[in-house]
Amino acid sequence: MVVLQAGLCPGLTEEMLQLLRANGIRTVVDFVSSDLEDVAQKCSLSYKALVAVRRVLLAQFSAFPANGADLYEELKSSTAILPTGSPSLDQLLDSGLYTGELTELMGAPGSGKTQVCLGIAASVSLGLKQHVLFLDSTGGFTASRLYQILRAQTEDEEEQARLCFVLQLEALQRVQVVRVFNIYELLGALQELRDRLSQQAVSSVGPLKVVLLDSVSAVIYPVLGGRQSEGLALMMQLSRELKTLAREFSLAVVVTNQVTRDSSTGQLKPALGRSWSFVPSTRVLLESREANWERASTQRAASLAKSPRQPAGIQVELDIG
Amino acid sequence: MQREVGTLPLAPALRARLAAAGFQTAQELLDTGPCGLSKEIGISREEALEALQVVRQECHGDAARTAGGSGATRKCTALELLEEEQAQGFIITFCSALDNILGGGVQLTKITEICGAPGVGKTQLCMQLAVDVQIPECFGGVAGEAVFIDTEGSFMVDRVVDIAAACVQHCHLIAEAQQEEDHRKALETFSLENILSHIYYFRCRDYTELLAQVYLLPEFLSEHSKVRLVVIDGIAFPFRHDFEDLSLRTRLLNGLAQQLIIIANDHKSAVVLTNQMTTRIGQSQSTLVPALGESWGHAATVRLIFHWDNSQRLATLYKSPSQKESTVAYHITSHGFRDVQPPAVTHSAEGTELNPRKRPRTEEEKQ
Repeated sequence: MVVLQAGLCPGLTEEMLQLLRANGIRTVVDFVSSDLEDVAQKCSLSYKALVAVRRVLLAQFSAFPANGADLYEELKSSTAILPTGSPSLDQLLDSGLYTGELTELMGAPGSGKTQVCLGIAASVSLGLKQHVLFLDSTGGFTASRLYQILRAQTEDEEEQARLCFVLQLEALQRVQVVRVFNIYELLGALQELRDRLSQQAVSSVGPLKVVLLDSVSAVIYPVLGGRQSEGLALMMQLSRELKTLAREFSLAVVVTNQVTRDSSTGQLKPALGRSWSFVPSTRVLLESREANWERASTQRAASLAKSPRQPAGIQVELDIG
Repeated sequence: MQREVGTLPLAPALRARLAAAGFQTAQELLDTGPCGLSKEIGISREEALEALQVVRQECHGDAARTAGGSGATRKCTALELLEEEQAQGFIITFCSALDNILGGGVQLTKITEICGAPGVGKTQLCMQLAVDVQIPECFGGVAGEAVFIDTEGSFMVDRVVDIAAACVQHCHLIAEAQQEEDHRKALETFSLENILSHIYYFRCRDYTELLAQVYLLPEFLSEHSKVRLVVIDGIAFPFRHDFEDLSLRTRLLNGLAQQLIIIANDHKSAVVLTNQMTTRIGQSQSTLVPALGESWGHAATVRLIFHWDNSQRLATLYKSPSQKESTVAYHITSHGFRDVQPPAVTHSAEGTELNPRKRPRTEEEKQ
């Protein structure tokens, strides 16, 4: 809904604007949806001029339909599949994280969401030598653990200790960490990321490939619920920002979410409700093998709750140790 | 600034009016100016001025971040964070087994939650940590002060006196054994009165007072910049009874958690919370789980669960971003929180009687 202003298109002069405003037409949508003959009579403006202005406004502000075949070609050339660092998780996700999509990891506390995110950051930064952005809203990012994972991954492949060390340092430098502790800071950080990427986007393949957000529910829960619907609006704004980022710049976006207990059935269900459940295209539930905390292990079970490509309900074993 | 109007922290009614009037980005708002704005959407000039103030602040914050200003931003690479973490100290608990599974002790800049049944030792550990945070750096501590927020009234000053006396005694023994200059100098300031005067105690009786205290804490901490530990003893107590609206409770708790993380991060201090246990009744059995629900479980970065095994107290590290899950045993003596003395070890030099004042020497003391 853009406000009509002089200079928005040739032919839209200041006097015309005044007359239109006097009749209650203030935005582009009002103009384009009103009956032009009526307007011409009421504002005593020329019908032809109004039609010309409308044509220009429609050309400027409407969305263009795209051909399915063109879209497919474009997707084939711009989508990449990123390895997550864990072969069983890759298998679950149909060979890895797809760029241009939003993937969600959900689980109870201690189920390993942050560990899987660190594993993804390590694998993309070390294996693909691409940049990673980690948005931390819970304070759970521990650089020493990331370093540990990187060491485990390099020592598998390289023999020389010095070469390993240099690789690890470079990989650490490619991971950028931003700490955002409330929803407005998060939105500001995403906006800033978008500005930065669009400035250097001569090619759509910038150095950044993955954006990890740990966790989305920590920033949204404080504003959700109660009598205000503001929380829901902010949540949808956030989802729009994340999806636009993923599509426009070919990034893979991974978010982590909590689970809550359904009061009636006692089952665990993902947090943030139905509205958020439509946002990610893929949802993975992480669970600990043991039912309670008295026996510890590093084994986790990952099951696919929602996916556009695989049947839901497949389960694999993960080791987050 | 291309920041969308919907993402700015304005009042919802104001946002709705701006959207209806057709404003999309923050730049358009700033261009219109307060008079134009008040005319367009029908609010008073003062309100328009205030709104523009908020918008300008957000946009300047964004601009500072883009330009790479390092003061208020929290952006850095993993390598820088690693260097920071390795230089950071830990707050030791005097139980070396527990310190080991925690990776060195209670970590600064993180929230640690201690859950346990009544009487298992949560408040004891909190009081021990309030003393241990003040250990001077030459003895392996962080030389900070402590804030103790008490909601249950379980803070006993005479117990803290015992713990502090034992800690001072311990440091004296180390200093005598090692005979270094800075040890002796540090010991001059590390005395019982000093320790007690650096524990700032707040008593909160219901959840409103607790929330108010936590939201006012940043100002207090900016005046007392040496604080390195914030303990909230009994976060479950004010939230567990007379809350009819559970969604309000979740919202308040989550807001509290975010505020505590901001405090931990900005002031480089450790936040320690204690939680109670509740019973979850399953199909065939009932288990003890930490109170306050599933969503609270995500608030703490590190979670320790204390429980009994016959008459032995055990501590389990249940959730941690960098350490594996494991369980150790601990002991509470008259001197505070200690290791369980293994029965077969100390034959060598000390004779048959175990001296409770001497804990087994470990590597960290030999520095």
